[in-house]
Amino acid sequence: MPSVTSKRPAGSFAWGWRRILGAAAVAILLCLPRSQAGADDLARVLPDIALNTLVPGADAAGPVEGDPPAAPVLRRGRQVGLILLTSDVVASSGYSGKPVKIAVGLDLSGKITGAAIVEHHEPILVLGIGKPHLDAFLEQFRGFDLRRPVRVVSEGEQAPPGSTGVHMVTGASITSLVFSDGIVRAARLVARSRGLIGDADGPGLDIESFREADWESLVRDGSVRHLTVTAGDVAARLGEEAGAEPERVMLDIFLALVTPAAIGQNLFGFQAHSALLAGLPDGSHVIMVAGGGAYSFKGYTFARTGVFDRLQVVQGERTIRLRTDMYRPVEAFAATAAPEVRDIGLFILGPDSGFDPVRPWRVDVMVDTARPDGSASGVAVPFEYQVPASLIRAAAPVAMPAEPPLWRQRWEAERTSIVILGITLAVVLAILFLHDGLARRPRIMQWLRPTLLLFTLVYLGWTVNAQLSVLNVLTVVGALINGFQWDFFLMEPTIFILWCFVAVTVLFWGRGVFCGWLCPFGAMQELLHRLAIAFGVAQIRIPYRLHERLLPLKYFIFLGLVAVALGIPSWVEILAEVEPFKTAIALKMMREGRFVFYALAIVGLSLHLERPFCRYLCPLGAGLAIASRNPMFDWLQRRRQCGTECTLCASRCPVQAVHANGQVDQHECIYCLSCQTLYHDDHKCPPLVARRRRREGGQQREDRP
Amino acid sequence: MTATLRLTRRRAIAIVAAAAGLAALPSAGRATVPRHTLYRWTGDAMGARASIALLHPDRDAAEHIVTAAVAEVRRLEEIFSLFRPASAVVRLNRDGRLDAPPLDLVALLRAAEAMSSATRGAFDATVQPLWHLYRHHFSAPGADRNGPSAPAIEACRHLIDHGAVVADSGAVAFRRPGMSITLNGIAQGFVTDRVADVLRARGAERVLLDLGEIRALGAAADGTPWRIGVEGTDVILPVTDMAVATSAGRGTVFDAAGRFHHLFDPRDGRCAARYRSVTVTAPTATVADGLSTALSVVAPHDAVEILKGFSRATAHFILADGRVLRIGA
Repeated sequence: MPSVTSKRPAGSFAWGWRRILGAAAVAILLCLPRSQAGADDLARVLPDIALNTLVPGADAAGPVEGDPPAAPVLRRGRQVGLILLTSDVVASSGYSGKPVKIAVGLDLSGKITGAAIVEHHEPILVLGIGKPHLDAFLEQFRGFDLRRPVRVVSEGEQAPPGSTGVHMVTGASITSLVFSDGIVRAARLVARSRGLIGDADGPGLDIESFREADWESLVRDGSVRHLTVTAGDVAARLGEEAGAEPERVMLDIFLALVTPAAIGQNLFGFQAHSALLAGLPDGSHVIMVAGGGAYSFKGYTFARTGVFDRLQVVQGERTIRLRTDMYRPVEAFAATAAPEVRDIGLFILGPDSGFDPVRPWRVDVMVDTARPDGSASGVAVPFEYQVPASLIRAAAPVAMPAEPPLWRQRWEAERTSIVILGITLAVVLAILFLHDGLARRPRIMQWLRPTLLLFTLVYLGWTVNAQLSVLNVLTVVGALINGFQWDFFLMEPTIFILWCFVAVTVLFWGRGVFCGWLCPFGAMQELLHRLAIAFGVAQIRIPYRLHERLLPLKYFIFLGLVAVALGIPSWVEILAEVEPFKTAIALKMMREGRFVFYALAIVGLSLHLERPFCRYLCPLGAGLAIASRNPMFDWLQRRRQCGTECTLCASRCPVQAVHANGQVDQHECIYCLSCQTLYHDDHKCPPLVARRRRREGGQQREDRP
Repeated sequence: MTATLRLTRRRAIAIVAAAAGLAALPSAGRATVPRHTLYRWTGDAMGARASIALLHPDRDAAEHIVTAAVAEVRRLEEIFSLFRPASAVVRLNRDGRLDAPPLDLVALLRAAEAMSSATRGAFDATVQPLWHLYRHHFSAPGADRNGPSAPAIEACRHLIDHGAVVADSGAVAFRRPGMSITLNGIAQGFVTDRVADVLRARGAERVLLDLGEIRALGAAADGTPWRIGVEGTDVILPVTDMAVATSAGRGTVFDAAGRFHHLFDPRDGRCAARYRSVTVTAPTATVADGLSTALSVVAPHDAVEILKGFSRATAHFILADGRVLRIGA
């Protein structure tokens, strides 16, 4: 085995680590100035939102209020829903790393009624995928029930049973995920805080369990609550002196939650209870108000007005008036030893009432009295109820199916491509480690490299969209400033794995491993160039002095982009179009003409010139080149004669990365190993040719190093 | 040792709580009594600073109680607010009628009507048109610094009549078009009372509730009354199971000079705060609040007559020169 030679100064290994530490320090500094998220942006953008596109029929909006913030929307003065802005509620940054602001409308039954983008910086959407795609995507959320789990699926994929599937925008999978996640998460938080839907892991009511119980035990365990109010109590509430008979019972009230069999079936018997529940929509509950006393809780006008004028149900922030259409009168109790009471009323609270049976509630009974001066006075006397703890299940498994974190869903969904990518990376590593042996076998290299490049282009590029981009770098920079979230970077597994791989290989071997083997657009250029040569297309050879002066261009582009990313982030997506990756790889050239023209121009140029984009324009390549100033391993072998007696490699290097003095420029090298193949070829490498001839003929002079 | 809480808000009042009440009872002599610790919530209620100081042995339970109390505040804000577009009061003012209103609105309108007749019109919730008149007057450029003209005020006065409010539990309505109400002079008291109910129903026995008006449940931690200081004076009111309310005209003013403010005399339509402030103690916060609003605009000899109708109410009038006048039981 030939020895590994290095032209780098001794001690450069330590220097490399110092550099890494330095970079870490910079990263920490960048973390410090966290920008403040603009809270309550909704109030600012609300006037510009067409309300009835988000909540059908809405004609006005109230002030933004509450935590999380949302604005009530009204139709003819009655609240019909809520509007929220995702960025006020959840920190969801998009692919760009910047907040996505989507206005979402909800109705009062916990369903999404509309969603509209207010602001985003998604690179694909800025220039690639048009508004119609986006509108179609958001349209899918109309009518979405927040109680159901959501799954973002690609075209043709089925959502798991029981969940709602949302089809992603093709070519913008992360963006679709982030949008969907932001919309659903923010809407759920708001809906939950307003009691429109139950808690995700909130307790549930045990409706089914039944154990026979008589009246007394129902009262004892709190299934039925019995409360009395005297005339004296009513007077005290009015701040008045008690009248003649302060001990007279004004109200004698029994309350119960009838829905659970353990209560309702014991009170009214199996048949009556099941008949009562059978006809009700899901999520309805039935409460009982019964009683006697001098004062009737039912009043006398409900048959005429349709409203029970003396009753209201209160739970938390909700006030529910009881109407006759909710009313089911009952003659008597079926429970053993039940008292006889004058009135028994059952009231049905539908799913849209927001009534939560496991939380405490109360019935206010309005007691009208006449004052000495003849005027009416009234006081709402509260009667509190709480269903017994024995009927509350700690957590309802069906209440709301939990979804695994978004990034984990992605890793599961992408399992196949992750495995294939892993194998690909292992192959690339194997080529690196075995390069010496491979370089001695030009015939293997001859098919191995084009095969792998074709795979990179077709599979990594066009199939799984694993094209790294300078935008990733800028996103990390942005994230370090705006708050770094692992979740976000884990969202695209193949990109994430590739970046980890690139980070390591850049430190050890330089930019070449990625640029030369794993970049789909690089592969596209190289493959086309090979084809062009096979078909005899005329080639341009850039004079070295011009080449040298064109090289810095890509660094300027890269540094310019970084500067813009720090200064005017919204421009970055547009300026990053200098990369034709999105056009050529993500969107497969199906895009507006100007972008396709640009990409085709570069591709066309690559027919005459090896990898023109990589060499002179690519900002990502430049960024990686800066990071690969001093790779730890310098495995590309050179000879003493390189650059002095022979410049064959320099002229054969496809990207002119071998200087005339024989040194390999790590900033430009794409690790294609063609110089190594030459190095071992005793028919091409002049020193080897000379040695072979000498061995064969025995008359040439010694030239072993 | 005395801990003093000074709360400055629109209705300025200072609460002086007995030392042991706030200091979490460290005394050794009470080892047999469950240790009541002070649980304190501060926030907003109906646009003013609010606080609940709850003495309770169990911190988690105290937290649940306070959460329920705050939910009740929010529920009632959604009914009585003049600023929330969907509130029952706003809809009533806009449409002149509200079917199937929340019973809280019916009850409070009845209480307001009772207050109006007991104070011979010195309290009237239908003064809201005056508020619009004054605000409109002073928001116009070059407004007359002497306030709206007499004819303009006169034109408003026919809309001020609590007797023209129908408060049936099936529907509330105005008998005359153009009427509107504000319950700001009494709703804070009503909310305080309803929240007190919620607190008691959940087992809170010792609470100092300050939701714009103050209501004390039970005694302070050492068993002595809660002590409420009247701001700007050295008067300290010992209260147990009583409510305290204060009205001061300087709270919301229309003009730079501060001559015009939100305390209208419903009887002549003028801004008429005769006192620096009026503090009333009464068994319920609804009565204390309504009375303090009414008494702000009447002369002392009328106040004496009015207070005869409220057997357990006391009023402290803080005069312009700082002297304190006490009327009542």
